[in-house]
Amino acid sequence: MRARHLLLAACAFLVACQREQRDLRTDPPVAEALGQVAVMPGGIGGRPAAIDRALGHPYQTNAYQLNQGKRLWDWFNCSGCHAAGGGASGPALTDGSWRYGPDMVSIFVSIRDGRPNGMPAFRGKLTDEQILQLSGYVQAMGAETASTAAPSRNDTMQARASENRAPAAAAFPKQVSR
Amino acid sequence: MSPDSLPPDIRDTDLAPDVLEPELERTWRTPRGLIGALSTVDHKIIGRRYLVTAFIFLAMGGVLAMLMRLQLARPENRVLPPDLYDQVFTMHGANMMFLFAVPVMEAVAVYLVPLMVGTRNVAFPRLNAFSYWMYLAGGFTLWTAFALDMGPDVGWFAYVPLSGPEYGSGKRADIWAQMITFTEVSAMAVAVEIVVTVLKQRAPGMSLDRIPLFVWSMLVTSFLIIMAMPAIMVASTSLILDRLVGTHFFNPAEGGDVLLWQHLFWFFGHPEVYIVFLPAVGMVSTIIATFTRRPTFGYLALVMALIATGILAFGLWVHHMFATGLPRLGESFFTASSMSIAIPAGVQIFCWLATLWLGRPVYRTPLLFVLAFFVTFVIGGLTGVMVASVPLDTQVHDTYFVVAHFHYVLIGGAVFPLLGAIYYWYPKIVGRMMSERLGRWVVGLLAIGFNLTFFPMHLLGLHGMTRRVYTYQVEMGWGGLNLFVSLSAVLLACGFALFFFDAIRSSWIGEPAGDDPWGGPTLEWSTTSPPPPYNFRHIPIVRSGQPLWDDTETLTVAAGLRVDRRELVVSSVAEALPEAREASPANSIWPLWAAIASTVMLISSIFSPWAVVWGAVPIAVALIGWFWPKGTPEDEA
Repeated sequence: MRARHLLLAACAFLVACQREQRDLRTDPPVAEALGQVAVMPGGIGGRPAAIDRALGHPYQTNAYQLNQGKRLWDWFNCSGCHAAGGGASGPALTDGSWRYGPDMVSIFVSIRDGRPNGMPAFRGKLTDEQILQLSGYVQAMGAETASTAAPSRNDTMQARASENRAPAAAAFPKQVSR
Repeated sequence: MSPDSLPPDIRDTDLAPDVLEPELERTWRTPRGLIGALSTVDHKIIGRRYLVTAFIFLAMGGVLAMLMRLQLARPENRVLPPDLYDQVFTMHGANMMFLFAVPVMEAVAVYLVPLMVGTRNVAFPRLNAFSYWMYLAGGFTLWTAFALDMGPDVGWFAYVPLSGPEYGSGKRADIWAQMITFTEVSAMAVAVEIVVTVLKQRAPGMSLDRIPLFVWSMLVTSFLIIMAMPAIMVASTSLILDRLVGTHFFNPAEGGDVLLWQHLFWFFGHPEVYIVFLPAVGMVSTIIATFTRRPTFGYLALVMALIATGILAFGLWVHHMFATGLPRLGESFFTASSMSIAIPAGVQIFCWLATLWLGRPVYRTPLLFVLAFFVTFVIGGLTGVMVASVPLDTQVHDTYFVVAHFHYVLIGGAVFPLLGAIYYWYPKIVGRMMSERLGRWVVGLLAIGFNLTFFPMHLLGLHGMTRRVYTYQVEMGWGGLNLFVSLSAVLLACGFALFFFDAIRSSWIGEPAGDDPWGGPTLEWSTTSPPPPYNFRHIPIVRSGQPLWDDTETLTVAAGLRVDRRELVVSSVAEALPEAREASPANSIWPLWAAIASTVMLISSIFSPWAVVWGAVPIAVALIGWFWPKGTPEDEA
């Protein structure tokens, strides 16, 4: 029985770690440091903020942060251009092809500073932390294999299978290539 | 099968009394060692484990309650951050309802019902072992998740959409839902065992009108479990499906229904209250009869009240949903049905009062608990009638008034009788008495501490303090009462701590009890304390409702059972006429394996739906091992 408990605890610990941690108010110094990404010249790629690494990349692995990102996606009407990730007037985000790179820093910069041909800058409209949440979610929605931390469906009409049912590309029967 | 191929057939009539007991012991005992302990199907050992585990969960849930009182002791307190507070109140509720209240009542039943009906084990003993392992795994799952910051944070009722896929991020709500599956599987298993034990394994002569009232109450409770629990299993499974594979049971945009959750939950949740309360009714009736030295007044009325409560329990769940905007007629109907529950409750109270009035009460600790129960439970019942009326309910809905109300009925109505029952049956289970002196202190501390803690909550609720808030502002003016409540809670906690101290201490140095320390009327007192593995040397024959009082000299017994294998008497449902000698399953390790396989499947299925497919394989293997034919002949009539 003890062996079973150890086994159970080990399983639970492996899947859990910090995936569920939920700080409702980020410390101001941490929030400040989150925006300090080093971007390569040309605005694609770079090094994430040191604090993000120190925290264990919560914006990519933590269920709560990913879920917050999904809510921001709705609240800031990202679907207005990108549809449910399948792309409309904006590019698709689930087809595995990224104009400005698939990494967190590139997505972060895309949202914060905007991109040519219509992607607006959200600097000043969203905090750095919110942009990171959104970036993590955008990565999750286009992931080939779903993480168990990825969000599930919304209580709305369904345009695609939810993010925890990857691969994302399979969610769309026909890809609009742009 | 020809007679000569039968194995040797030794009957208890063949053996002298001094040979019979060791032989029975050899047949029914639990082997020493780890494997023996893990494979036992003895209802007394499993019942004892159930009891100890449930009381450990009670203590842990109590610690959570004290943490909440610490946080709420003053305005704008910062002991628990809001997210942790959400987890703590959810854990407290879920732990107390699913891991303590229901299992502890079942634990008492698993231990006592076979003794009280005069049989040697519960029906389906391996299922009994399985149910305990499932219960343990469910509790372990919940608390491990909590330790990993993954504890459910959506309330013990987990309403959608808060617990649904959109707002309940992570796996916290899934942990809650799967814990439900564990505990409900175990509860259903025990319920089925109890029903069959009571209906088919009663001692010869124990016709329906001679069943002890506690057994009656567990029979009704078990039927309630069987009818109520499927609703919550459907609900929690639908919730996991919604969250994991994106079904739309609770998504109104795709044709689902949010209120469906509340209906399913409370169709279980209200009977749940009676699943916790009805065993307490049985305990109170038993304790009062013993300590007034007379049969309980109005046996038939009490049994009818039990059954009436059980039936009415399924007709008033909507009173939890008055604030959701129901049709007026529905509200009126459910107000009426909610108030009608006061009728059987009143019948019970007056039957007990009459018993006390007509008897010569001996005020020992168990009876003192019953008196504390009367006062507290009646207050809880009165506020219950108040919140049954829609206008008042819409005003106090989700306030501390409701918190006060349900703690009055749950602690006053169920925990006080339960603790009285522990003091009453402890000598039978352990073989030693609990301390009478400490017991009086426990009753006093609990009764006073409880009322001081929870009565002011009525006032806080009327002043507008809502449930589940992690803090409040100074300007609300709730600080003084909250501080008083928190300080009183320390008194209450001291009462529980003293109870635990007494229970642990008495198992070492309590006064040896003897077979029948209280002079009780029912069959469990006719055997030794603690009972031998085979419970009774011979199956007793019952000729009245109080066999030990009415057959003072000797108890008539039935003979002719085999002693070289586990055998018990199966009797007819109504008259308890003996029908057959039935084999009772031997110890087996397979229920444990089945529980481990089920645990792995259930926990993994939170993370991937494929776990249901692959997890079914080890479960199938375990069940095949469990049910592998033994080649023993079928039972003989």
